[in-house]
Amino acid sequence: VRCQHCQPLRALQASAVLRRVSDEHKKEPLTSSSQQQFDSHPTGHQPEQDPQGPRPSYTGHGGQESEDYESEEQLQHRILTAALEFVPEHGWTAEAIAEGAKTLGLSVAAAGMFHSDGSELILHFVSECNTKLSELLEQEQKLVQLGEAEKKPIDEFLRDAVEARLRMLIPYIEKWPQALSVLLLPRNIPSSLNLLTSMIDDIWHYAGDQSTDFNWYTRRAVLTGIYNTTELVMLQDSSPDFEDTWRFLENRVADAMNMSNTASQVQSTGEAVVQGLMGAAVTVSN
Amino acid sequence: AGPEMHFGFQSVTEEERREKIYQVFESVAKKYDVMNDSMTLGIHRLWKDILVHKMNPSPGTLLLDVAGGTGDIAFRFINYVRSVRQQQLQRKLKHHQNLSWQEIFESYQEDKLNSLGDSQVVVCDINREMLKVGKQKAQQLGYSEGLSWVLGNAEELPFDDDKFDVYTIAFGIRNVTRIDLALQEAYRVLKPGGRFLCLEFSRVSNPLLSRLYDLYSFQVIPVLGEVIAGDWKSYQYLVESIRQFPPQEELKEMIEDAGFFKVDYENLNFGIVAIHSGFKL
Repeated sequence: VRCQHCQPLRALQASAVLRRVSDEHKKEPLTSSSQQQFDSHPTGHQPEQDPQGPRPSYTGHGGQESEDYESEEQLQHRILTAALEFVPEHGWTAEAIAEGAKTLGLSVAAAGMFHSDGSELILHFVSECNTKLSELLEQEQKLVQLGEAEKKPIDEFLRDAVEARLRMLIPYIEKWPQALSVLLLPRNIPSSLNLLTSMIDDIWHYAGDQSTDFNWYTRRAVLTGIYNTTELVMLQDSSPDFEDTWRFLENRVADAMNMSNTASQVQSTGEAVVQGLMGAAVTVSN
Repeated sequence: AGPEMHFGFQSVTEEERREKIYQVFESVAKKYDVMNDSMTLGIHRLWKDILVHKMNPSPGTLLLDVAGGTGDIAFRFINYVRSVRQQQLQRKLKHHQNLSWQEIFESYQEDKLNSLGDSQVVVCDINREMLKVGKQKAQQLGYSEGLSWVLGNAEELPFDDDKFDVYTIAFGIRNVTRIDLALQEAYRVLKPGGRFLCLEFSRVSNPLLSRLYDLYSFQVIPVLGEVIAGDWKSYQYLVESIRQFPPQEELKEMIEDAGFFKVDYENLNFGIVAIHSGFKL
């Protein structure tokens, strides 16, 4: 039986945990790709009895309420960020999330908000790394525009960008294979693919319109290939400061650059091959 | 008199309802577990397993099991936490490859003393008879550590604010007279970040299944009640109270009204039973 006495009580009840955004200088929530896992409340459920609502409306088009309190998603981001510190010890698991929640003063049961396989934690981490990379590249670009730095040649630019991004994995490198396998779960593939391609696109965006003979799709595919293979090499690299990995990276980028030069050659070779095959087919049929 | 409430399909006052329900459970307490098994053909065990699995408690969790009477949820919680702790300790040992045998022995000893990892469960029930049966069961099955039994009313819990990590109420909230008060109390005693879990009979939406379910409920169960427990009326009440209980969406809204966030429910067996979950954020 739905009680009518509830109404005044709920108005007085402030949320126990969701903080006032004005109290801290919070950044806006991250890219939506990482939020694919988080279900969103249907805003339709907001009942009439909502004065100075303790419930935030986080679709962004609430009145004052949406600016007053952080949303559930923002809280979840905070928990996941806090959980990263415990990943080297516990892996990408609900345990790490529970420890993270504890450091924020929350109950360990808060980890129940997330999947027990750590999917959200990993996706959150990847998203954060991508954001950091974007900021880095943005800053470099500013320096170049202000004339304080030289514009890098394309191969050096790609090398440095990929290296910078892969270096962010170093603190978690031991548990990264586990993370990769979770990212490949069918449930996670849309999100993880999305994050990967937007990162690659980002790098090309900051690489600027340098003359290569690649078209857009080829560029994406080439750099994705470089990134993925280098990542795998890194997982098995035991050299000091991963120097083997960076050398591998250098070679792959150089290959890619050469490929663009020989692209036209390949095309004419390809045509020649096709003609040869056609000739052979005609000969055989006769 | 007081406001009109339902007791099964009867109409009673609030006071009468509380009393009648107390009497129901007083009378069924001794046969409670047997009846559960026969009515649900043992499936209730799976439902309770799923509840604890969904909770996924980590060692160190403090659980409040309300209307926990005969201890089913509490015992499962203890088993779960114990095995998680075992795995944790094994992983710890694997890391410490260079310890001497003496050191390994000592760490093993001290960990054995803490096999639950500081987890605790408090079983709270309003009915003395149910608690008695629960305590006897615990003794028989050998549960002693991390377990306490408290007599209390879900509408007015004898605990401080912000105490528990998880609050569960399995097949109990249906019998609470003022559900909104119970939900508010749940909110109060949970720590920030704490989780509310409710396992309860709910609405079956599939019409064919619903007819079969009704048939089984009204024709078979009271008969079982008479034959096994010698108490037709109590089981008639049980079946009727299930029909009177709010369906999934309505219960979800009530939980949200109490202040919980991320409220969701999961249907088991097509809605015969549902698990509602919410967080105190």
